[in-house]
Formats: sequence, structure tokens, C-alpha cells
Amino acid sequence: MFSAVSIMTDGDYDYLIKLLALGDSGVGKTTFLYRYTDNKFNPKFITTVGIDFREKRVVYTASGPNGTTGKTFKVHLQLWDTAGQERFRSLTTAFFRDAMGFLLMFDLTSQQSFLNVRNWMSQLQANAYCENPDIVLVGNKADLTDQREVQEKQAKELADKYGIPYFETSAATGSEVDKAVITLLDLVMKRMEQCVDKPPAEPANGGGATKLEDASPDQKKCAC
Amino acid sequence: MMDLSLLQALEREKVLEVLQRDKLLRSAEEERIRRLKMELQEIRRKGAKSFSRQYSERTCARCQRPLGKFWNSGAVCRGCSHRICSKCRVGVSTLDWKCTVCHAYREVKIKSGEWFLEEKAKKYPPDAENCETTGEKLLMSYQRLSHIAVVPPTPPPSYDAPPFNRLAELKSLKKPFTKSMEDLMVSISSHMRRFSRSQEDVRVEQDLLTVVKNRRPSFSPKSLSDTDINKSSPNLNEGPSLPNLFKKSKNDDQSCSSSGADEELSLGSEYLEWKRGCSIRSTGRDSGFLEVSNVTGELELAVAFDGDSSCLEVTVKRCRNLSCGDVKRKKCHPYVKVCLLLETSRCSKLKTPVKRNTTDPVYNEVLNYQLEPAMLSRTALEASVWHSGTLKKKVFLGGVLVPLEGLVFQDRTTHCSSWYSLCPKPECSEGGAAEPTAAGELLVRMKFTCQSQPSWVCDTDEVNFGPSHAGQLAVLITGAKNLPTKANISQNTYVKGYLLLSGSRELIQKTPVLKKKPSPEWCHQLLYSSVTPYDLQFGTLELELWDHTPFSFSDRLLGCVRMETESSWRLLLQTPNVWHDRRLPMQANASGRRT
Repeated sequence: MFSAVSIMTDGDYDYLIKLLALGDSGVGKTTFLYRYTDNKFNPKFITTVGIDFREKRVVYTASGPNGTTGKTFKVHLQLWDTAGQERFRSLTTAFFRDAMGFLLMFDLTSQQSFLNVRNWMSQLQANAYCENPDIVLVGNKADLTDQREVQEKQAKELADKYGIPYFETSAATGSEVDKAVITLLDLVMKRMEQCVDKPPAEPANGGGATKLEDASPDQKKCAC
Repeated sequence: MMDLSLLQALEREKVLEVLQRDKLLRSAEEERIRRLKMELQEIRRKGAKSFSRQYSERTCARCQRPLGKFWNSGAVCRGCSHRICSKCRVGVSTLDWKCTVCHAYREVKIKSGEWFLEEKAKKYPPDAENCETTGEKLLMSYQRLSHIAVVPPTPPPSYDAPPFNRLAELKSLKKPFTKSMEDLMVSISSHMRRFSRSQEDVRVEQDLLTVVKNRRPSFSPKSLSDTDINKSSPNLNEGPSLPNLFKKSKNDDQSCSSSGADEELSLGSEYLEWKRGCSIRSTGRDSGFLEVSNVTGELELAVAFDGDSSCLEVTVKRCRNLSCGDVKRKKCHPYVKVCLLLETSRCSKLKTPVKRNTTDPVYNEVLNYQLEPAMLSRTALEASVWHSGTLKKKVFLGGVLVPLEGLVFQDRTTHCSSWYSLCPKPECSEGGAAEPTAAGELLVRMKFTCQSQPSWVCDTDEVNFGPSHAGQLAVLITGAKNLPTKANISQNTYVKGYLLLSGSRELIQKTPVLKKKPSPEWCHQLLYSSVTPYDLQFGTLELELWDHTPFSFSDRLLGCVRMETESSWRLLLQTPNVWHDRRLPMQANASGRRT
């Protein structure tokens, strides 16, 4: 127990990335995250009370300029798990704004949970840190083929409409679980580079350069 | 903003547990960010043209090597507009590059998550409470409502809810809570009184700021709590005494010429004078000193440093919820005094004008100091709020100590102002010099565990950490014996363990605080993971015994011991997975500590 704490609370990592899983109650958010962090499956349904989170450290390899593998970084993932139940809604949505990326999940064996993806998307738009955050659409319980209600094509179309990746996963077998999370992580890592590089880099030194910098953003705006 | 009142008690507990875990993660993160920023500052210091010297255009701004006219002529960095030689560039291609400093700055912005906060701030401008996350905010609001801080079962000292903060929070509550709050206030303030009485018995004259000892300030400009300040007070006593490098700004018209000689007493000694007299009495000059019984409220300060002109700019913005300075007449005429504390001296006192009849004064006064950039890290800023009473009688309304070390003075815009909770004056604490050198023994059991696998779960290819022989060093702190006891002092002791490894890796662990035991017994394990035998061979383990003093600015170091020679590790490494008992004699003062 102590060792778990000491491992998880040391600061020996390069990035802290906060992701959040959301979706209807019972689609398997908790089991999905449990599979991802501990590589285990718990078939019991225990409803999440409000919020929870799990942690995992991974090594992220940045892609180099021409497809080559670049540097590797240690990433500490904080994976927020939210309650799908309506009565916790005000609590859970308040946590949206602190997450850098989202796993929007539905249950492949429940048409209703798929229909609600649209609602979750608007919840995200309203409550996430920005209007178009990084999201991955996840259809879970892919192993229950005989109970499937949502077709891959259908889901893929929706994901394309939103311009987000789509994965069919199974927390029971573990299939595609890692891939979905890693894809999201990748999106977030790319976005942070963009966010920092988009505006002209701020001056590292004060002095004369500062004045130049102050003027330039305005000029940019005028030009648009 | 939602609250937790809609949830059932059990649910609430569960959520709070999660929030507590989140808080742990956050404090580790804050510490990491602080380190990142310190490193950045170091890089900037090394690779920056000094503003005091003139450089010819034809030198690299980073390494200061001369640049040629035709070849290796350097190019202008798009980040800082300085001319940079080809060696001081980082980038993917010959065209897309940045100078080392700009690159480091960008890295920190990404790695510290600052990019995210900036993005988020566009949609959600940060509110007055200065909370970064929902979890933090929720936890704080809950602690405020529940009267009792939610503290995990055995909290390490750093996670103890700061008592002053709680006090301040309680006081700032809205009306409906006041009744029950008052009860609590009474109990807290009586507790404080008791505490100060027992401290007073010691009667060791010591400047309250010189005992502060901490070489690892965990200062974060974002979330300043009193405990942060406690931990982060820079070491003001150690080290060679440097010449007084700063002088009062010449063009400063705010200097306290009007008050002249009677202002010579610094805040700390003013308080001690008063404390020793135990009543309001003249201090030999015509001013009496008093402290309000309950220090409340906050002070908003903005600190900026202009390296160009070596000017430290302290903006005293405003205060809120101050205690009334003159309770009888219900009057309060507050002013703010700012003092720079150097290693050797405290001087350059500057004051704001007095605002009359308000407990929420707005000043927006800019106080300027001339200060060499090199001195920044060794300087702390002491700000105190005083009520200016009749007949020059001053009443202390609260104060804060802000170490400048760790503040990254990037540019004025990013370093926005912060609210600081005001604290009562700390008691005079005794310290270092008066103590004997032997300071008892620390009983520990140590074990080095070799692990064939990396210390955390790896189930996929992407998880692959560290050398495969990484192990774990477990240090079981069993207890401390033969501690020098002093009458009337009950010590609340805890042990802090630093494992310093090559490559300036540093792992810190703490035991919980044990209250009032002459021979404390913790049986608490400090665990250092991902340590290789090689690391350990050249590593240093430093164990420090601290007295946790909740109502003073700093915890007191009781003793420390180091293990650093190869021989001290040999047995441990030769027989891994076995517990080794050690009795480690501690030294009382800094002589045993590294600098």
C-alpha cells in the first residue's frame, strides 16, 4: 500500500495528462479504465459514486519529423471516471473543465446509450475547457456480439461527423482498450505542442524584445 | 457551482476520499512544476546576456562566443530576437529552431501544463478563489462548511490542513454560519493562546526569521497557503554574509521618512518586545505594539522583477476582511508595511499610506526596490498590515512572508497578483546555535529490495521504465531515543528522509507527525522506488528529525543524520531483501547537513 502511494506521488514524470471518461450509466466506463490501468476485468456492475480516478504511467514516444521515432517521455495519466447517472450530473460536468481529453463511451448493446452520445457531445462543448476538445468515441462491450444493437458503420459515421476517432473496445477481453486511450493521449500531446507554438513564442528575456512582442499580436489580429 | 450537499453522507465521504487522493497528486505535481521552473531559471541565468554589461552585436546571446562576419555569423532567434550561434540552437531543422533559452521556456510551458491553464482561462477566467481545479475548489468549500477539515487518517505533515487558513476561511464565511463558527473560533483561539504561553517559557532570544531552515522551498505562486510559506521560507541565516547589495530606490517617494527613527524596529522585534512585556507597554520609543486577538483577512500582492533595471516592484493591491484594529471604537485605519529580508539583514522598509475607517482597504501602491538579480533567491518579502491608532499606537493586523526564491519572474503579464492569507506573528522559536551538538539517536531498519520488474505495472510494450535492476530502498523509521529534552516543551516530531541520487535526483518522504512524545515511535516506512544499486552506492540518505510547530512560520530541525559513504551502503547492497537495524546518532545543527 505504501509502495503504491510512494510510486504514485513521486514527481518523476514529464507530463501529467488528465483524461476523463463519460457516457451513459452502465456503458462500462469504470471497467474500461480498470482494464486499462490494471489489465483486469471486473464483470460486476458497481455504480460509480460521483467521480473517481485511476492512474497509470506510460512511456510516450514522440513521433519525429519524418515518421522516425523521437524522444520518449514518461507520462503520468490521471484518468477520471465519472458517474453516468443523471443525479450526479452537476457534479460530474463540473469536472469536465479540468480534463485535457475525453473518452466518450457508449454501449454497443444499447441503442439508447448510442443516441445519447449527441447529448454528451453538447455537454462537452458547454463544459470542457474549450469548444473543441480532443475526444475519442468508444463503443464498448464489443465482445457481446449476439446482443449488439449499434452497427459499426452507424457509429463510424457519427464519429466522422464530429471529426473524432472511433474504437470498438471490450473491457472484458481488453481488445482495443489501450489503442483508444493511446490515440487520445496522442491527440492531447499534439494539441499541447500546437497550443504553445501557435502564438509567436514569448521572449525568454525581458528587455527590448518585450516591446516588440507586445505589439505583434495586435498586428496579427489586424491582418486577419 | 455545485456543492456536495445534495449527496448522501456516505456518498459525500466517498467523493471526498477521491478529492483527497487528487490533492495528493496535485501536491506532487506542484512540487514537480516548481522544480521545472527552478531549472528554467537556472538555464536562463546561465544563458542570458547580463544587462549590466555592454555586448557587441557580434556575440552569441547565449554562449557569448564571438560571431564571425561571413561564416558562423549567427541568426536571429524567432523567440527572443537575439543573435544566436549555431551551437545554441535546438530544433528539428536548420530553419525551424529556437535558442536554448526559448526552447527551455517552451518545454516548461508544455510540461507544467501551463498551456492547458491558459487555454482554460480563455473560456473560464480564473475566479477570485484562485483554485485551479474543480476538485480543489470543492474540497476547499467543503472544508469550510464542515468546520472540520477533511484530513486523511495518517496525514504526512505537509498535507495537514493549515490551521491559519482554516481560521481565515472560517472568518470569511457568510452570516448564517457565524454562530457555530464563533464556537469554533473560540476553541481555536484559546488553543493558540495556550500554545503561545508554552512557547514563551522558553525565552530564548532568537530572531524569529533566522531559524527558518529549508533548502527546498516548495513555493508555488499559484496556490499560496501559509504552510507553503512555512516550508518555503528561504534560508536566511546560513551561508556567507553577502554585502548588502540593494539600496532603496532613489526616486522612491514612498520611503518612510516621516516615521524616522521609531521605525527602526522591525516587525519581528516589535512583536517580541510586545511578547516579552506581555502587555501593552512602551518600548522605549513612543510607540506601543499590539496584536489583534484574531488575525483574519487576506492581502493581495503582485511581485514583478525587472531584470533590466534590477528593480523589484511590489504592488500592494488591497486587503479584505481585516480584523478591526480598534475594537472598542470599531475603527480600523490600516496600512501595509513591506520589508525585504536578506540573509543578514532586514531593511528597506516601505509603507503604503493609511486608509481610514475600512477593513477592506484598496491601495494599489507600487513599492520599488533596487535589488541585484543574484540576490533574488536569497531574499524574502515580509508584508504586514498594521492599524495606525491614536498616539502612534500600532496594532498588528497580520502578516505574510513571501520568499522570492522560486518566483519565476518571466514577464509582468504572467506573474499576476496573488492573495495571501494573513497570519499572526509566529512565536519566537529557539534554534540551532543554542543546542548541544549531540541530538539523540534515530532507530531505523533498512532494506534494499531487488526487483526483477520495474516497479509499476507494465502490461504493454509502451511501458518500459528504467534499468531492469531497479530496486526499492525501504527505510523503516522505528523511533528516536535520547532526544535532548527541554522542560515545558512537548515536541511534535516527524522524520523527513531525503534520498539524493546522482543526476540530482532527489526523493523526499516523510513520516506522520507524532504528538508530544519524548521518545517517539513511528514504525513508518519511507519507500524509495526505482533505485538501482549503482545509484545507492553513490547516493546520500539524509534523515531529519523535525519538530512540527503548527503556529509558527517554520518547523524546527531537531537533528539530522546522513548516510553517504560507500561503506555505509555496502552491507545493505550485499544482502538485499533483508532488514538491517541501524542506530544512527544525530547531530543537532547544520554541521551534519549538506549545504
